Amino acid sequence: MHFVPNPELGNRIITLMAALVLVLQIATVGQRGILSSIRIFAVQSFLLGAIAAVIAYFNQASHIYIAALLIVFLKAGLLPRLLERLVERIGIRREIEPLINVPLSILISGGLTLLGYVVAESFYHPEETSARAALGHNTLAVAIALFLIGFFVMVNRRKALTQVLGLLSLENGLFLAAISLTYGMPLMVELGIFFDVLVAVMILGILVFRIGETFDSMDVSKLRKLRE
Amino acid sequence: MILLCLLIVPLAAGPLAFFLRRRRVMELVNLAAFAILLGLAAALVAQVLRSGPVSLWDGFFYADALSALVVLLSAFVSLVCSIYAVGYFRHEERSGVLQEAEEVGGRFAVDKLREYYALMPLLVFAMMLVALANNLGILWVAVEGTTLASVFLVMFYGRETSLEAAWKYAIIGGVGLSMALFGTILTYYSAYGALGTDTLAGLNWSVLAGNAAQFDKPTMRLAFILILLGYGTKAGIAPMHTWKPDAYSEAPIPGAAMLATGVLNCALYALVRFYILSSKCLGPQFGSRLLILFGLLSMGVAVPFILVQRNFRRLLAYSSIDHSGIMVLALGFGGPLGILGMLLHMTFHSVTKPLLFFCAGNVQQHLKTDLFQKAKGGLIHSMPLTGAAFLMVTLAVTGSPPFSFFQSEFTVLQAGFARDYFVLAIFFVSFLVLIFSGFLVHITGLVLGENPGLPAADMCRWKEYSVAGLAVVIVVMGFWIPAPLFRLIKGAVGIVVGG
Repeated sequence: MHFVPNPELGNRIITLMAALVLVLQIATVGQRGILSSIRIFAVQSFLLGAIAAVIAYFNQASHIYIAALLIVFLKAGLLPRLLERLVERIGIRREIEPLINVPLSILISGGLTLLGYVVAESFYHPEETSARAALGHNTLAVAIALFLIGFFVMVNRRKALTQVLGLLSLENGLFLAAISLTYGMPLMVELGIFFDVLVAVMILGILVFRIGETFDSMDVSKLRKLRE
Repeated sequence: MILLCLLIVPLAAGPLAFFLRRRRVMELVNLAAFAILLGLAAALVAQVLRSGPVSLWDGFFYADALSALVVLLSAFVSLVCSIYAVGYFRHEERSGVLQEAEEVGGRFAVDKLREYYALMPLLVFAMMLVALANNLGILWVAVEGTTLASVFLVMFYGRETSLEAAWKYAIIGGVGLSMALFGTILTYYSAYGALGTDTLAGLNWSVLAGNAAQFDKPTMRLAFILILLGYGTKAGIAPMHTWKPDAYSEAPIPGAAMLATGVLNCALYALVRFYILSSKCLGPQFGSRLLILFGLLSMGVAVPFILVQRNFRRLLAYSSIDHSGIMVLALGFGGPLGILGMLLHMTFHSVTKPLLFFCAGNVQQHLKTDLFQKAKGGLIHSMPLTGAAFLMVTLAVTGSPPFSFFQSEFTVLQAGFARDYFVLAIFFVSFLVLIFSGFLVHITGLVLGENPGLPAADMCRWKEYSVAGLAVVIVVMGFWIPAPLFRLIKGAVGIVVGG
């Protein structure tokens, strides 16, 4: 018997998982330990991979499977492993001190999520575009919220490594946006972006390591020699 | 075929340098690769002028007059910088700076050189890919590639300040480019309804440009804002310019000159490609206003920092912010005149700016400082060639006649008047005048005067070649632009304005 996937069910699963992704992102904001932040990021990336796989299954778009595999392998497996090793090598056990305290940060993330919804509402017209690209605007709103909260994490945290994590989760938001708007970029582009992200994390890792060695700290606010 | 060669030559030269042991051979590989590259770029220009756009692999690579111009400028800058690099690094090695860097970074001087000579071709490869990629996603990947390849240039010396500059550069650049990626995704989405493809061609610029009028307008509006912020960060326009003074003053001189010209051109090129899409979709008005705002803001931000600057390497960086502001402003003025002004400015900038960096580099290597305060003037006596060239290029870069910047800035001004932007034009001119006076005060104080205690500089001939050669080119360009080059620029203007 041939099984015809029910798109309605697919949309519900995707929305549920996107909500989980958002919850994880807000959890990062409240998180103090670096190692647990890295693990949250890994789980979040895994969920994104799952979303991509679900979209691929319900739309019979096989090229998205490759993107899903890549994101699971790279962002849920390889990168967190690399970052954890980096943490071990520099030997930071100290907790992260955010600029803004945790309750207020979470409140701000809530506000940013609302903003994400407003922005998504403003330019999302499923009726104008082709039927295939009509995934719920919830996903898009979540993607924009991920982007904004990632940005906020980068501004709010002073540890070099947390800023890298913020950049990575910001990139996760972009992946979600791409996949919910257009079912992903063309595969060739997707591959290029993954390659760039990998190289960028390696370079940033080297930089974090050198900063940790030279300054005996990962506190970016100590980088203030270059002034006018 | 020629497109492929343009990419393969630098891509091969980079890894090759990793396996070399002798300094002389590394230098030779670099010089040879970039000389071949310039030849190939000239051939590409000839082909584009003769028979229109060149494409390869179903339009995966695509070169029209605009790309050919950027390719030509990138290749020229790479060659000039690599000639200067030979002299610069020999001097660094002799004076023991690289050995100091070795102690900080734990490496040998030759390893340090190898790092430079291997990464520079990779940076050039990324720059070539920016100009030749037709797919806007690949364009983004390539621009990000220029950042990744050049972070190591910024942290080259391994000092605390270099790490700080590299960190700022990588993080600000990373955030900026993620905005550009978001903009690219939204552009794809806004075209998705009109084109309805998810094949590779759906993101091809040449395809998008033909259908831009049917794009979803609100999405395209948001996309262009994100693109402007994103690639604007890479081009260092205010208020996203803060990485620039640090990165330019920490990178080794040839690397900084590459960042200030080649990489800047790439970012502006990406911006222009999206500007064309947005003005076809939304009409030229929408993009114009934003571009004018950011352009004037960049010029305005540069003024006070140039006037009170104490460090001549940072002075150059603010000059670069000023010039990218001028180019963005010219793009905003738009129309055939504005675009012509922008592309002329880009050409002249790529020719003139490296010389400014080289002169500053010579001075820094001689005096072992980059502060005006510690340099007591009188450089014209201890290093006559560099001193004279420094004065000349200062006049050139601030737009005084007979040098070519005068022409391009005048064209921009004309474009402003043609669009009835009288108040903006007044701001434009007064910023230029202020920057001119600031530069002149600083550089004449550095070069002229008497300083009997200063020993004569020993100049490596490679440094003299590049300074003297480039000075000649600049003087000639002031009076005469080669006809094919001008035709190429005109062709590129046609693509941006009407196409």
